[in-house]
Amino acid sequence: MSSFDHSHELPALDPRVAGAAAEGCRESRLLLSRRSMLGITASLFSSAFLPDFAKADTDPQARFFIVMLRGGMDGIGMVIPKLDPHYEEMRRELALPDSATLSLGSDFALHPALSTVHSMFGASDAVVIPAAGLPLRNRSHFECQDNLENGLPVNLPNATGWLNRLFGALPAGDPVRKRFGLEIGEAPMILRGPEPVLGWSPTWYTKSNPDVLARLEPAYKSLAPELWDSLQRGLAADALATASGAGTSNEISVLRKGFIGAARLLRASTGPRIAALTVDGWDTHADQGGAAGQFRDRLAELDVALNDIKAELGPVWSKTVVCCVTEFGRTVRTNGDSGTDHGVGTAALLVGGALKGGIVGDWPGIAENQLYEGTALTPTVDLRAVFKGVLRDHIGVPLDILNTKVFPESAAVKPLGKLVDSPVTTTARVAASSSPLTNEEVAPILRYRKRYGS
Amino acid sequence: MTLRRDQERLAHLAMNRFGLGAKPGGIARIRDNPKAALKRELEKTGIADITNSTLPSYVQACQVVHTDFNAEHKLKEKELTARFNQHLKPEIGFVERLVLFFSNHFSMSILKDGAIRATIGQLERDVIRKNVLGSFNRMLLGVMKHPAMIRYLDNEDSIGPNSTSGINWGVGLNHNLAREILELHTLGVGGGYTEDDIDGLAKIITGWSFVRGWEAAGKYNGGNERNRGQFIYRKDWHEPGAQRVLGKLYGGSGVAQGESVLSDLARHPSTAQFIAFKLVHHFITDDPTPAMVEPLADAFKSSHGDLKAVAEALIDLPEAWTLPMTKIRTPYELQIAQFRALGRIYEADERWPFYSSLNTLRNIPWERVTPDGYPDETQYWEGPDAMRIRMETAPINSYSLLFKGPFKTAPAVLAGQLFASAISKASLQAIANATEQYVGIATLFMIPEFQRR
Repeated sequence: MSSFDHSHELPALDPRVAGAAAEGCRESRLLLSRRSMLGITASLFSSAFLPDFAKADTDPQARFFIVMLRGGMDGIGMVIPKLDPHYEEMRRELALPDSATLSLGSDFALHPALSTVHSMFGASDAVVIPAAGLPLRNRSHFECQDNLENGLPVNLPNATGWLNRLFGALPAGDPVRKRFGLEIGEAPMILRGPEPVLGWSPTWYTKSNPDVLARLEPAYKSLAPELWDSLQRGLAADALATASGAGTSNEISVLRKGFIGAARLLRASTGPRIAALTVDGWDTHADQGGAAGQFRDRLAELDVALNDIKAELGPVWSKTVVCCVTEFGRTVRTNGDSGTDHGVGTAALLVGGALKGGIVGDWPGIAENQLYEGTALTPTVDLRAVFKGVLRDHIGVPLDILNTKVFPESAAVKPLGKLVDSPVTTTARVAASSSPLTNEEVAPILRYRKRYGS
Repeated sequence: MTLRRDQERLAHLAMNRFGLGAKPGGIARIRDNPKAALKRELEKTGIADITNSTLPSYVQACQVVHTDFNAEHKLKEKELTARFNQHLKPEIGFVERLVLFFSNHFSMSILKDGAIRATIGQLERDVIRKNVLGSFNRMLLGVMKHPAMIRYLDNEDSIGPNSTSGINWGVGLNHNLAREILELHTLGVGGGYTEDDIDGLAKIITGWSFVRGWEAAGKYNGGNERNRGQFIYRKDWHEPGAQRVLGKLYGGSGVAQGESVLSDLARHPSTAQFIAFKLVHHFITDDPTPAMVEPLADAFKSSHGDLKAVAEALIDLPEAWTLPMTKIRTPYELQIAQFRALGRIYEADERWPFYSSLNTLRNIPWERVTPDGYPDETQYWEGPDAMRIRMETAPINSYSLLFKGPFKTAPAVLAGQLFASAISKASLQAIANATEQYVGIATLFMIPEFQRR
């Protein structure tokens, strides 16, 4: 445990969130976000399994980041199937010569923009899954993003996110649960639901003027102490996320600031353990580019941002798994505009010191007769199997919770084993009772009607 | 003196709990009888109407649909300018708050499609504003027969499986709009409907569609350039026969079949309760009780959904005048309160401080992605990250609004004009101690009295 983790003096807690705070921890409380009151109310009502875990406040070491690449990332552009005889004929001007790529062994190679990921792979800190996919394969951005984030076999209207359900399914006093999930910049569906969510947004704004703050303090303390407390926690969290160093420079993109800030917050001994990030810009219908161009630029920024996570985490990198996933892949053939259109199967990229490393899953081939619906890569690995493998072996979530609460009706989708170096045991956790599948079940009007009648 | 302080406290409450924030001198103008001032606003003819002959009619707005992004975008910004200017006009802005409330009740996102981007302002002017002190039934019908809502909730391709086209093409229903009508727009969750009712309603509104750009350009499916973008009823897509919703069998045919269900939903007791609950939740407290909700629901029921009667019932709630102001302005409302305090808005080409702060605070108008609308739970808007960003963006907003030219009044004097005696000494001191004008105004924007409502 580094001394860094204990160096932040934090203000006392807002009494209205004391209920959650009793089971919360310091950095987490700093960030308690917009939806927390609803969540706290709901979770307090369902904390049936609290006592055994509330007292033993262990510091869970495992860190988990999920990075959602929005727009449909071209897996064949990222993870090149160099030994597939149809690669050059299908990709035409987008194909890269073997000499320009970063080798992952005899069968695959990485795009040259991913030099950091390549060295992670060499250090057994990266897992490459060349042909992953979702249950839903209709190639609609909105519906497939929903499916990626709701974790359901079939989309439901107004569904909750699977990461939110994970927190809801863990016992109330569980040390991972009581640190909450962290969303960066956006409010992705994956964390949508009744459980409290932490939020931090990277901004380019000038920091709050300390002089103005000092002048406002007496007014807030007498009129709105709860707002003052909230503000102080927000300032402290932001200070932690943007402390001196790379994260403060305006030379750095907001995207990288988000990754750096997330890593700093997850590094803290009392901070959250699970974060969700999003990266836009993967919908490359035209002029996708090969060794140079827009797709290369997105990969290069992702590569730098993943390196930022590693650098900021320091020793905690060895306890970390980062999953980079997308809603679908792209057509195997290059289209008439030197781009690619909506497809199905695509690569998933996992990095982190806790991983075993290597290439996982079968290659389906990209000959004409091997394509999905004649145009797309055929998935050989269900993404839910990847998530279940990480959550079971890295975070220690029992399989029955994963099969029923987090990814309902998924018992047939077996978790991918052997992704991480040292799988943790999972016997100590018993599922909490509530993990609603839709937000309808937690609507304010429903609470009123349950309490007072309709 | 004590009496005047009490009256000014109530006037402050009227301005902020019910309104969009005071304009200079506003407290002094309504303090004699704040409740009567609120009711006067409801009586004022045309109070909700935007009269601006350069804004498009329904047909004109629809002509822009699916033409080009910039045309749709420019129209949306022009509608937003008109909305800002209208927010500045009334003394209190209670009716404007009701407009925002019902616009959010029928929330849509322009991010989904150009049909919504081009017409959402027109919908708000001609459907929400026209009925905000009138009939909920007419508002509901107007929204559901508008291309923006048809598109937003995917009804344009909902085809009855037994309709002519359904049989020929082997296509079927989309339940989205029917589901949200019951769940979000009328009865509300727990209001006593089932999946079968959703299915029945979905069948009844099959064929409720709009003319998409490609249909107008190619003259497909009854479209042409004259009806581009407009609502269209496609007879061949409509599921034939009677359908059951909430136990009642709806015969009839055409659009009238759907209109009669919507009219029944609009006056259903669960709808009355849901609208009443939402109004109390939005305006007064995060924890509405039957003592607060039932008077509004009763007004709704006995007036057959007259929204003016419901608004009066809200004013008449004793709790509206006694409960502490524990809610906080949404980030959008905060921007508007700033406009009203200074009598200035951002014109269409200078809106980056507005969009930039509302983007990080996730409250851009007409851009809530999910159909449930922006939340009314206070905690959603006053979390640590949100408070930090409010503090960071207040100086950006004050600097940008003053950039048009320095303000003639000193910040502390302006605070007196906005709050009269309803401001703490500590807040006044914080404003007065600022050396630069824009810092003083930013401090004014951040005092608790300016944030709470």
